[in-house]
Amino acid sequence: MSRPAFDRLLAVVGRELTTVVRTRAFLALTAGFAAVVGMLAWTANAGGYVPLVLDLLAPVEVLVPALALAFGYRALLGDDERGELDVVRTYPVSRATFVFGTYLGRASALLVAVLVPLLAVAAVVPLSGGTESSFLATHAGMDSPIRYVRFVVLTAGFALVVAAVAIAISATAGTARAGLALATAFGVALVLGFDAGLVAGLAGGVVPDAALPSLLALSPNSAFRGLVLETVVGGVETGTPAASPVAGLAGLGAWLVASLAVAVFAVWPKTDR
Amino acid sequence: MTDTSQHGRERPSAESPKTRALEVEGLTHSFGAVDVLSDASFGVEEGTVAALVGPNGSGKTTLLRAILGLLGPDAGSVTLPPPAPSGRRIGYLPQAPSFRPAFTVGETLQFYADLLDGEANVDATLDRVGLSAVRDRRVDALSGGMTRLLGVGQAILGNPPLVVLDEPTGDLDPRMTEYIFEVAADLADDGTTVLLATHNLTGAAETDAVAVLDRGRIVGSGPPEELSASVDAASLREAFLALTAREAGDDEGDPSIRVRTRGGDGA
Repeated sequence: MSRPAFDRLLAVVGRELTTVVRTRAFLALTAGFAAVVGMLAWTANAGGYVPLVLDLLAPVEVLVPALALAFGYRALLGDDERGELDVVRTYPVSRATFVFGTYLGRASALLVAVLVPLLAVAAVVPLSGGTESSFLATHAGMDSPIRYVRFVVLTAGFALVVAAVAIAISATAGTARAGLALATAFGVALVLGFDAGLVAGLAGGVVPDAALPSLLALSPNSAFRGLVLETVVGGVETGTPAASPVAGLAGLGAWLVASLAVAVFAVWPKTDR
Repeated sequence: MTDTSQHGRERPSAESPKTRALEVEGLTHSFGAVDVLSDASFGVEEGTVAALVGPNGSGKTTLLRAILGLLGPDAGSVTLPPPAPSGRRIGYLPQAPSFRPAFTVGETLQFYADLLDGEANVDATLDRVGLSAVRDRRVDALSGGMTRLLGVGQAILGNPPLVVLDEPTGDLDPRMTEYIFEVAADLADDGTTVLLATHNLTGAAETDAVAVLDRGRIVGSGPPEELSASVDAASLREAFLALTAREAGDDEGDPSIRVRTRGGDGA
């Protein structure tokens, strides 16, 4: 009897989750992220959910891609280096099933590592008592736990996108060294490169001001930032240029789909056996 | 007429109907300017153990990978048996099998079993390769021999009609080597076709057929005794040396590669 592809997918997801959970680096990185986020939330003494989001936004933009790339860049590459991909190819499992399963397993672990600390630090707001409330927090209409939940949901989406990029890197890199170099280069490009390029373009007159909201959506980090500023902080002038929400969602979706497609096509060549 | 090997199994008689489970025709493959396979052709009969032997760098692994479909040859064809009900057509043991280190032996095989159509009996497979006692041991705590046996277990999961083993006895002690050849013979007795690449000519001499690969070409094939007789050699080892020396273009052998033996002048 033919086994449904979904069962195979679950087998691959389970293998990835088990692998990640049993890896000491995962526990160390998760603990490190939780410690950084907790320390930031505690020392910022934000006094409100929206101020807390603003305090966490920049660190999250840096740390979530770092975590995603660390968790994912060797997922398929490790199997390739061990020769297990060659073995897997002798089983009746498709490239798409294997890649999606690998992605879902790694992304699930990443979500746990990112979301649990973010949800936990929300407790800082009521505990802090709002003694040093900022302008943002004093506007009741502006600040609520719902806005913080939106931030967490958007962060989850951002994490899923960069996890897909990490899987694509893992499928395309030929060696561990190349994978690490690609992951590092992509991380730097995400955090600094794209925005720096746009600033240079604006300064040089190459990029018109009107095109900025759309162009910002081309980078996952800028798209995520734009979505947070528009839908969480909303209506507050932060002085930071932001992508439009629709363009941001489209940009993140495109990165997700394109990255997974690259991974599926690159993981192994299509054969008739 | 039957012949009995050292492992106690009967070789197929010359009169018995022969169905080829694997047919390789004119395989040619190059890595850049280097021709690795040149018009390699041979076949393996169903339910037999065939050994692929050849000097280092002769193209054995490339040939096996072409058979597996892991690389596309420049020319030639490979005819394979239909897949088993499990959906698996070929089982494969790589030259250096390796698995996720944090998994146990049982978990590793269960993962692969979950990729098959229907249920595969992991416990029976572990029993068959002699790893039942270490079912719960982590892979990174296995010896090299046990890791290879786990690789063999993985290769036979789902009862594929053809099993390809790339140097299954490499670096193994004589007892473990003997055991691997016994497992291969057992598989053949159950109807599985086994093709193994090996440098162990003593073990290869006990298989049903041997193909000698040199510089990417099959320079001799057939039952070990017939292969030896074809070059007037007293043993498979002598036949191997003769066949591969001839391919070097010198019937006397390449003078730069003399095999010295105790009490002799060299071969």
